[in-house]
This record gives sequence, C-alpha cells and structure tokens, in this order.
Amino acid sequence: MLTVENTKCECGHQNAVGTVLCESCGKPLLKDLQQSDTPLEMRYDGVARRSQKSNQTVIDKIWSFFSSVKIAIYLIVITFLTAMLGTIYPQESTFINNFDPSTYYEQTYGLPGKLYYMLGLSHTYESWWFIGLLVMIGTSLVICSLDRVLPLYRALNKQQIRKHHQFISRQKTVFAADIGGDPKEWMTNFGTQLKRRGYKVHQEEGQGTALLAEKNRFSRWGPYINHIGLILFLLAILARSIPGWQMDAYVSVPDGDTVKIAGTNYYIKSEKFIIEFYTDDELPEQLQGKARAKNYETQAVLYACVSVCNDPLKEPVLEEVKRHNIIVNHPLVYDGLKLYQFDFDLKPRLNAVNPILEDKQSGEKYGPFYLPMKDSALQHKLGPFTLDLYANYMEFALNSEGKPTTLSREPNAPAFVFTVKGPGLKPEGEPYIYFPMQKDKVKFAQDTINREIADKIQIRVDGMENVDFSEATTHLNVRVDKALPYLWIGAVFSMLGLIMGSYWQHRRIWLRIDDGQLVLGAHTNKNWFGMRSDVAHALKKVGIEIDPKTLDNGGKNA
Amino acid sequence: MSLLDFSSDAFMVAFFLYCFAFLFYVIAIAGKKWSNRDPKQHEKRWGRIAFIVSTAGLVAHLTFFFTRWIGGKQIPTSNMYEFMTFLGMAIMIAYTIVYAMYRKPLLGMFAIPLTIIIVAYASVFPQEVQPLIPALNSVWLKVHVTTAALGEAFFAVGFAAGLMYLLRVINFTDKTKQARRAQFWVEFTLYSIIVIVGFIIAVFGFRFAGYEASFTQEKVLIDNKGQDSTIVDTVNYYLPPIVQPYNSQIVEFQSFLGMDKPLFEAPYWMNGVNAGRKLNTVVWSIIAGTLLYGVLRLILRKRLGAAIHPVMEGIDADDLDEISYRAIAIGFPIFTLGGLIFAMIWAEIAWGRFWGWDPKEVWALITWLFYSAYLHFRLSRGWQGLRSAWLAVIGFVIVLFTLIGVNLIIAGLHSYSGV
Repeated sequence: MLTVENTKCECGHQNAVGTVLCESCGKPLLKDLQQSDTPLEMRYDGVARRSQKSNQTVIDKIWSFFSSVKIAIYLIVITFLTAMLGTIYPQESTFINNFDPSTYYEQTYGLPGKLYYMLGLSHTYESWWFIGLLVMIGTSLVICSLDRVLPLYRALNKQQIRKHHQFISRQKTVFAADIGGDPKEWMTNFGTQLKRRGYKVHQEEGQGTALLAEKNRFSRWGPYINHIGLILFLLAILARSIPGWQMDAYVSVPDGDTVKIAGTNYYIKSEKFIIEFYTDDELPEQLQGKARAKNYETQAVLYACVSVCNDPLKEPVLEEVKRHNIIVNHPLVYDGLKLYQFDFDLKPRLNAVNPILEDKQSGEKYGPFYLPMKDSALQHKLGPFTLDLYANYMEFALNSEGKPTTLSREPNAPAFVFTVKGPGLKPEGEPYIYFPMQKDKVKFAQDTINREIADKIQIRVDGMENVDFSEATTHLNVRVDKALPYLWIGAVFSMLGLIMGSYWQHRRIWLRIDDGQLVLGAHTNKNWFGMRSDVAHALKKVGIEIDPKTLDNGGKNA
Repeated sequence: MSLLDFSSDAFMVAFFLYCFAFLFYVIAIAGKKWSNRDPKQHEKRWGRIAFIVSTAGLVAHLTFFFTRWIGGKQIPTSNMYEFMTFLGMAIMIAYTIVYAMYRKPLLGMFAIPLTIIIVAYASVFPQEVQPLIPALNSVWLKVHVTTAALGEAFFAVGFAAGLMYLLRVINFTDKTKQARRAQFWVEFTLYSIIVIVGFIIAVFGFRFAGYEASFTQEKVLIDNKGQDSTIVDTVNYYLPPIVQPYNSQIVEFQSFLGMDKPLFEAPYWMNGVNAGRKLNTVVWSIIAGTLLYGVLRLILRKRLGAAIHPVMEGIDADDLDEISYRAIAIGFPIFTLGGLIFAMIWAEIAWGRFWGWDPKEVWALITWLFYSAYLHFRLSRGWQGLRSAWLAVIGFVIVLFTLIGVNLIIAGLHSYSGV
C-alpha cells in the first residue's frame, strides 16, 4: 500500500521523502523519534538520500544495493578473506619458466596442493571473481559517495542558525543553564570565545539569542576526496588492459651483444656487466664466506632503429639514444620505456672462435677463420680445403634414438658439422664434427665420431686469444606502463582526502536562549573528547566552570 | 668503545627504563587502594613519574637508533632485529602522542608491556649489522619502513586500549553464554600474549644454557631438464628438538631431561627452509607459555582477566573506546602512506611493478582493508564499545601476522632470517 507521507515541518519547510530531521530547523520528523529523548542520529544531518526513494525501479534497486555501506563492508570483508587464501601457496605468476601448475602443486604440497590448484586459488588475483569483487568495490565507492555527498552538501550549505529546541537538547554534547543579564550580550561574549578557538560564528540578526558556531567543515569532504582517489586508482588499473598501455617482458643480453627489444623499435646493448661482492671484512661473522652481492650493474646503451628495421636479411640502422648504468633501484628510463636490472648469469658464454685447420699428413696449417656460434658463414675456404657448414647445434646432445639434437638455443655445448673437401679426401667431401669447447670434445668423443678423417685433418683453436666469450649475461625486465601517472594522481587524492578527514574534525555548536534559559548542543563527526573540551573551555571563559565529561549526553561515539 | 657498542648499551638502558616505567604505572593504578593516601593525588603523582621514566626510555631508544644508524652506515630497519626494535620504538612514539592528547596514565600500563615484549622478541634475532643487498639500497627503504611501522604502532596503541576496554567492561562473574564466550576470548588473547613471552623465555633460556643439536636433511631437487639431484642440508637447532625435520638424520643431540631423540618428525609437506625447526620452536613456545600461564593461574587462583578486571575499575570505558578508535584513526592514513603508497613507489622503482601480489604486499592490503572495514563499521554501522574493541584486537593480530607471520611462514621478497 502506498501512502503519501507528510513531510512538511511545522516551521513551514517542505522536506523530501526519507528526511529524518527537518532540513531547516532540525526538528525530528518521525513520530516515534519525536516522542523519545535519546540523542539524535546526526548522520548527513538527517537529510534524505536518493537510495531512500519509496517506489523503486530496477535502476533504483541497483543504486540502493551499491549505496549501502553494509554491502560495501561485506565486499571489503569478502575481498580480504579471499586475498588471504591466495597467500597460502605461491601463486602461479611467481614462477617464470618451465613450470606446469597442473602437476607442480600436487607434487610439492600433496592433496592440499591439488585442491588449491583445482579451486583456482593458484591464480586468485587474476581470477574473474576476485577482479569482479574489486570492480564491485569500485562501483560501491562511486554510488555510496554520490548518494551521500550531494545531500550532505545541501545540508551544510544552507544551515539555519536557530534550531528547534529538541534538535539542540538531543545532541550528544549538551549543556543547559539559567543565565542572568542581557542574553544578546552573553551570546556575543560567548561567540568571541569560540572565535578564539577557531570557530566561524554566526549570530542571529535582530534578537541575537541564537548562535551557530562551526569549524573545519572542509574535513567533511575528506572521505569523498579519498573515494575519488580510490576510484581513479582502480580505473587506472583497469586502463592497463588497453592495448599498448602496458608491457612486461624480459630480455637477456650477453656482454657485448646488442639485442632487439621485441615489440618495440629499440635495441639494447650491454657493454659490460659488473658485479662486486662484499669482502669478508665487511661482513659479520655468520655471513663470512658467503657471496653477498654488494652491487651489480649493466653498462647499457639503448638504440633506436632509424631505417631498415624489419628486413631480416639486412642489418638495421641504429642510432644511440641513451646510455645508462642500470642498477637495482636505478632503471634506464627513456620515453616511457623502462629497463630494470632483474637478474644475471655469471656462466661464461662462448660467442665465437677463430680456429685453424691442420693437415695432419703434410703438417700445414690453414687459417685461422672466424666462426661465430650464431649465424656463421656457410662456407669457409682455407688454402686447398673447403668447409661447407652442414649442421650447427647450440646445445649438442644425442636423443633416445642416438640421433644428434639440440637441447636449447643457447650455445652451452655448440657443435658444427662440416662437409670437408680437399687433398687426400673423397671428392664429394667427408663429414667432420667440431666441438669448440674442450669439455664437449671429451664428453662426446669427437675423434671417435669423426673416425678415419680424424687422422687426416684437425680443426682446433690455437691459444686463448682466438676465443671470444662473454663473461656474464644480464637479464633485464622491460616495462611500459602508461597508466602509471593516473595511478599516482589517484594515490595523491586518496591520501589528501584521508588526511583531511582524519586529522581535522567538523565541529558545530548551536545555542539559543529563551527567557533566560540557555540550551547548548554540539556535534562533531569524530573526536568527542575534543568537542567537549572546546565547549568546556569557552564556558570557562565566560565564568561557567564544569568538568568536560559532564557535557556528555550518552549515545554513540561516532 | 665503538659507536655500535655504545648503541647496544643505549638499547639495554631503554629496555630497563621501559620495565621500570611499567612498574611505576602498575603502582600508579594498583596503589590507589593503598591506605593513607588520596587516590587522585597518588595516581597523578605516580602517573607523572612513570611517564617521565618511559619518556627517558624512549630517548635512550632513539639514541640507540641514531647511533646504530651512524655506526652501521645504514638505517637500522633492514633485518628482523632492527625492524622489530624500530616497531617497539614507534609504539612508544605513538603512545606518547596519544598520552599527550588524553593524559590517561593507565594506557601506559598496557602500551609499555607491549613495547617490552616486542623489543625482547627482537633480541631473539641476530643482532649484527648486516650489509645491505643492492635491492634494499634505496632511500625508499627508510621512508617506507619507518612510516609503515609508525602507522602500525598506532594500531598497536589502539589494540592496547581495546584490550583494556574489554578487561574493563566484561563482567567476569556473569554466567550467561554470551558473557562466558567473551571471557573465554579475552583469556585466550592474554594466553596468546603469554605464549609469545614463553617463546622469548625458551629461546633465551636455552641460548644461555648453550643448547645445540643438528640434523642432516636430504632433499631431492628436479631441475628444469628433468634431472634429479640430491642435496643434503644441515639444520641446526638451538632448542631441544621435539620435532625433527622431515627425512633427516641426527648428527648431534645433547640429551635434554632424559630425552635423547626427537619425539616426532615434521610432516612431508613442511619442506620449506627450516620448516621443521620453526615447528619445533612453535611447540616449545606453547609449552613454555602454558607453563607460565599455569604458574600465574596458581598464584592468582583465578583467570587472568578476572584478576586484572578489578584494577580497571573507576576508568571511564567510553574514554578507552574513544582512545582506541582515535589511535586507529590517526594510524590509518600513516599506514596507507607508508605501507601501501610508499611501498608501491619503491616497488615501481626497484622492480618495475608497483604491485606484484607478493604475500607481504597482499597482507599489507589485507591489513588496510581490515582497518577500513573497521572505520566503516564504526562510522556508518555504529559498531562501538565491545564490537569495536574486538575488531581492534583482531586487527592487531593481522598486523603481527603481516610483520612476523608472513616472514616466518610464507617466503617471499620480504623474507628476513627467522628463528
């Protein structure tokens, strides 16, 4: 059944449906509230909110749902409870390579691990329901704020100085007394005391027997500014899914190499990677003998490609744009692109050798010739000999069928198979396998594989000056994040709002004197202790000494 | 004498001053009922003495902090010992600020023992100055850790006031179901605090006695090419091993009270670094804490909550409620700034991502969400008094888990050395 509520106050003000305290004089409008004498609920000064409309459409219902602080709190509580679950075992995202989540959790943690994986908790923070919770919190932030800030603004923007007697005497901080003398003079005097404490004092024109004193109203906007900041922050996070706004990749650069940064127009060169360890004198006893890194850095040069960028057959034309020593906490930053020191690898890596070919029958030596591990020339002519590259393995191994294969694309155990033509060899050429690294030569028994050709020729390196290797490989993390500035703006707003709302409190004091009878009521949104001491202090200055605690009228301490 | 030695001495001075301050606060409160004195005058006088002593303790603590900073050439907040002593100091700073606002000496009776326990807990960890690893070598280390700890210190003061509120208002003679539940949880909270004290006593007791035992533990690792290798780790125990590491052999075992081999083996899934030893430490803490609790119960002949309750009489419960709330409201923006925003800025500079769902980050977020729920409950749902006090207690448990539990139980970017 629908009844039209009478919301007109006795002071003549027409209030919206849902109003608790008259927007003008503050008199309680609800019958049962009028008959009670407990302190009043002062939230938003008793003004009606949109969510309190009586007949609701679907949109109104959604609005009401998200405008409820109770729902907001539930969302927060569910979010932090589920976030806890995600920390029980490491998340999938913490593993970088060679990781199969479907077996890892069960193998490592047993049945609980299997359940953890099956419930999807191994990627809690990327799951649709967790992101859904965050989006719902964001929606709630927007709607809760809008639903409250507008009525609150209205209520605070047009305040009556003379409030209803019930409104004043049913505040949480109250005082009543008989005062002698001229009421207007008393009021002015009291107002002066409040001004000294930083209040803005409004005394009623004419009679001068009603007064409103107010300070730090701005602090009421704190929570809303904080919420705007949080909304911006959440939007910035969502914006990262816009294509091109975010990039997160890894690049490994051996000393001296120049590597293209995939997905960009840039090339990165590591001139040298340097690492320094703490010496034993610098370490406390229990850490001595352990290699504790003191500093490591990549001496990096960033190039931009200016032409011939996408032709795999031609060398690109590069132009140096930035030179920077990348250290942890000091990334290379260029035009939104950031390169972070992520990790390093001190395993030396073979880049190239300059071997010679020895004719064992004549004792003649030919060469040396340049043999890089990657992209070697397909043919080498050495005196009367011709070497045709038949196959090239980066990490040589024999598979289960005994056939040669490569385990990776990193030159950890490189091997070259040449077809060799020349004096004393078959005219169609004979195969020769060459391992540049001594350890592989022994491990895979180079001479045995080569059989009789091993007695005729030999490819070998003469001296270390003919070996080119990188001492270290640096791993860099490449980042682009265009949402970042918005994120920080959001954080600044949020912080500003929090400070405004937490370290200042909005305090108001209402007084009226009727026939020598003073009533005083005071309201604050936080810190009643401070509110009472303000009132007690001003009363003391006009000659009324009381214990601040006696001003308390009971009720809740919001 | 080197600056670092001087620094350690200052720390000891601070510790003893805190102990005395605590004693004086107890005299200020409990002594009100002594004969031949005016209770108000007595509380005022001893309250002032106690506050002066606790402030002197804080000054000594600050001296420790700055001399260690100069002597060690880096801010002392980079390992568990340094961080926990800093947290203790931050609690004293937060307490001093709240005291200046409300002038309630009784708050010291709860805030100071909290500091004492945290500082004593810190001393369990290795105390040498350790050189920084490159990732920590940043100005943001100073900014992030100090502000986060200060925010958390205000939460600690909120916890102290909340616990006082509970001890003040809960009726320990009431036999209704609701009252019994409240009594049980207050008692459980006090018992948990005593277990932490038990942990400190056990560690120092056995350290003083020079107890040691060690095990070798075999672990099979499978590398990314599918080849397995076995590594053998040595695990040293400084508390008698009731629980031995999973799959381990005894190397050395000093007999303790006739026990010459461990009673249990840690379960197979506890295979983290030193997981067996940590479990053993937990078992010992519970044993020592329970013994201590039992002794206290025998002396007092009633539950601890019921024994403390009469001391709290005459204190305005509403004041406690407001102090607890106020401390949390002051701490919340500081924690947001230090624990989340500064942390994100540093993470962005160091790792190129402001947020990585690292367990420590997640738990800082959980702490923040919890306290924002607290503030909304209080402001919009009118949760005050008992409910609010319980939330203040639970909130601090979450803070402690974030600070200590995450490091000891869940490994991650923030793992420090653990006992």
